[in-house]
Amino acid sequence: MGYTTMGFVAGVLLAAKGNVVLAPLWAFLSSSLWITGTMSFAAVPEVAVRAPVATIVLMTIAVNFRYAFYGFSMLERWKNIPVLQKAYLILMLTDENYALETASQTMKRGLHLKYCTVISALNHSYWVLGVTVGAFVVCLLGMAIDPDVIRARTNGMEFAMVALFLVIFTDQIRSFVSHEK
Amino acid sequence: MKSEILYMLCVVAAVFAANYALRALPFVAFGGRGRELPNWVSSLGAYVSPVIIAALIVYSYAGLQWRTPWPFIAGALTVGLQLWRRNPLMSIVAGTVLYMSLLSCGCVSVPSDNLKSTVAHPLVRVTRFGIKFQDKLVTPEESVKLLVKHGVPKDRTLHVLVDDDFDNQRILWVFKHNYLDRAGYTKSVWIHERRGESGKSDIKPPDGGVTIPYKGRMLR
Repeated sequence: MGYTTMGFVAGVLLAAKGNVVLAPLWAFLSSSLWITGTMSFAAVPEVAVRAPVATIVLMTIAVNFRYAFYGFSMLERWKNIPVLQKAYLILMLTDENYALETASQTMKRGLHLKYCTVISALNHSYWVLGVTVGAFVVCLLGMAIDPDVIRARTNGMEFAMVALFLVIFTDQIRSFVSHEK
Repeated sequence: MKSEILYMLCVVAAVFAANYALRALPFVAFGGRGRELPNWVSSLGAYVSPVIIAALIVYSYAGLQWRTPWPFIAGALTVGLQLWRRNPLMSIVAGTVLYMSLLSCGCVSVPSDNLKSTVAHPLVRVTRFGIKFQDKLVTPEESVKLLVKHGVPKDRTLHVLVDDDFDNQRILWVFKHNYLDRAGYTKSVWIHERRGESGKSDIKPPDGGVTIPYKGRMLR
């Protein structure tokens, strides 16, 4: 549910602030390959001004730096599993999946792997669905309504990205404090 | 259109690669047997990630209406809710809705003095929906009043952008001669967007008009 809602907001935003016609294609490709909500939001203003690709890559590294540390807790658990499955699980190592997967580490190994794969696939589909539908709705609206009206109506929606950062930051600080104790 | 798709694909591929590399890093670097995870790695994660996110928050606030208190009020609500209920979706949606409603209440002061008219940012735009002043639909009278109110100099060139799907020559002529010229904005330049090869249009801007090639202006 969370994934679809956030995805919908991201889709609406990227279609409203970007190229309305290409938005559904862009939404589908980026959401199915990136699986990073933060980047989906952060890329919108950058792509709108056609920032250089290198800038966007640097931004990705900064924004998603935390992902580089998620894998460590999975190293032991995900040893010796089929390459494709492992590759997919690594791709789907998002904030939410990571939280669920670390919480399920007490499960038996086989069950844990199945659980990880299922929630990854489910969340993946929810996310792609949300983003694509959001972009598609705005794309259809854009044919009937003045694009500037859509832009005005979605004014302020870019706060969703800041809110996402704030939430991540709050959780990081919370886990940091609880570890120090 | 073609270059736009190419750019889009490049961004998708580049972000995908960077993102995947980050996630796969621990598996590649410490995937082998018998290698212990060094302690500094986990402490690096614990310290560096929040610092980066904090920097991003500051950076992204710059893109908001940060001269007003509204983004900070909405931010406080988001953090407060997240601390209290630990429900990310609820915190994000509540903060965003609050920010959007604060903005649309008109409590936001928009810097209003001495606007400049440039080719990159034309103040007035003619669209098939009507005349727009800074993306707000206005009547021709209002557009002239707004130009005067915002102190746009009359002796300088005034850039008017004509959308390429706008095809009423008469309206352009009337707007120029009956409104802009009468109000003293005689040095108007009409920028007419020409989109790629496919979207050629026959309409010519009134006297003193220029035609500029389409440069992804739709991506505004």
